[in-house]
Amino acid sequence: MKDHASHWLGAYLDGELRGLRLRWVESHVEECAACQSELDALLTLRALLLESPAVETITRPDRFVAQVALRLPRRQERPPAQRALEMSWKMVPVGLLFVLAFVQTVFIVAGVLQVALSLGLGGDVAAVVLPSSAGGVSFPDVFALSQASLADAFRVVVGLVQSGAALAWLPVLNLLLLVVIGMLYWSWLASWWVRRRHQQLTASNGLG
Amino acid sequence: MMEGTASGGTSRPVETELDLIRKAQKGDRWAFGQLVHHHREGVINVVYRMCGDAALAEDAAQEAFVRAWTHLPRYKPRSPFRNWLYRIAVNVARDALRRERPSVDIESVVVASPERGPQAAAEVEESSQKVRQAVLDLPPASRSVLVLREYEDLSYREIADTLGIPIGTVMSRLNYARGLLRQTLTPYMEGA
Repeated sequence: MKDHASHWLGAYLDGELRGLRLRWVESHVEECAACQSELDALLTLRALLLESPAVETITRPDRFVAQVALRLPRRQERPPAQRALEMSWKMVPVGLLFVLAFVQTVFIVAGVLQVALSLGLGGDVAAVVLPSSAGGVSFPDVFALSQASLADAFRVVVGLVQSGAALAWLPVLNLLLLVVIGMLYWSWLASWWVRRRHQQLTASNGLG
Repeated sequence: MMEGTASGGTSRPVETELDLIRKAQKGDRWAFGQLVHHHREGVINVVYRMCGDAALAEDAAQEAFVRAWTHLPRYKPRSPFRNWLYRIAVNVARDALRRERPSVDIESVVVASPERGPQAAAEVEESSQKVRQAVLDLPPASRSVLVLREYEDLSYREIADTLGIPIGTVMSRLNYARGLLRQTLTPYMEGA
C-alpha cells in the first residue's frame, strides 16, 4: 500500500490537505480504484456516524445554567500587595532596559566629552575637568589601598576622578555594568520560564 | 463571535463573547452564565459522545463548567473559548469514565420517526446503538479526536490546540479510529 494514498485519505476527506499533497491525492484517487473505494468507505462511515443522534438533554437550558451557578465556588481574590508585587516583577525587564539605556547614554556622553577635551576642543573647560596629573593620584596608589584607611581610599578615588584617570576605566566599567545587567536579565528570564512552566503544569493538571 | 442576550427580565446591552469572558474573569457570574448558556449544548454533546450516557453527560458538563470557572482567570483568548471548554470537557469525560463504567443510555436512544415504518425505525435504532457503542469502544485518546472532528467539526489545528497534541498525532489517531470503526461497523456500512 506504499504507493497508495490511504494514509492521506482521511485528511483529504476532512479538507486538511493543501498544495502539492492535495493535487497528488486528487489525481491518485481518480486513477486508483482501491483508493477510490477506500474514500467511499470513509464517506459512508462519516454518514453512519452522523446518523447517530445528539443527546436529548434532560435539563432545560435555564435550569442547567442555574445548576452550574449553584456549583460555582467563590473565587479567591489575590491581595493588592501580591498583585503589586507581581506587577513589579513583570516590569523588571523594562526597568533593566531603562538602566541599560541610562548607563549607555552616560558612557557615550562621557566618551564624547573625553575625546573632545583631549583634542582641546573644550578650551578652559579641559583644564578644569582634566587637570594635569601633577597633583593627581597615580594607579599605583590604588594598589596601595590595601594598607590604607577608608579616608585614604576615598582620597584616592577623588584623586582618580580629578585627574581624569577614571575616564580610562570607563570601558571596563561599562563592560562590567553590561555583564551585571545581562546577568540580571537572564536570571529574570530563567525565573520567568520556570514560573510559566509551573503555571502550565498546574493548569493542565487542574484542567485534567 | 457570540451576541449576548438579555435574560431573566433584566435589560443588558448586547455583549460579545470576549466581553463576557473578560467580565467572567473578573468574577461576574451573570456573564459566566451567558457563556454557559451559549456553550451548554456543545459541551454536553462532547461529554455524551465520550461517555455515552445522557444523565452522566449533563452532570459531567456541569463539572466541566465549574472547572472552567475556576481556571477562567488563566484563560488567554489566543485560542477560541469553545476549544478551551472542549478540552476541559474531554478531560472531565475521561475522569467520569474512570469513575463509572460506560453504559449506553436507553433514554437517549433514537425515537422511531412516524414517517418510517416500524421495521425501518428499528433498523435505524439498532444501527445508531451500534455506532454509538463502536465509538465508545475506541480508546479514549482516539475517541476524543474523532468526537471533536466528526461531531463538533473542529479542524486538525483546533483539535491539536484543544487536546495539546501535535497535528500529526491528530491525523494518526483519526486514521486509527476510523480504521477500527470500519472494522466494527462493516455490516452497517454495507447496508448504508
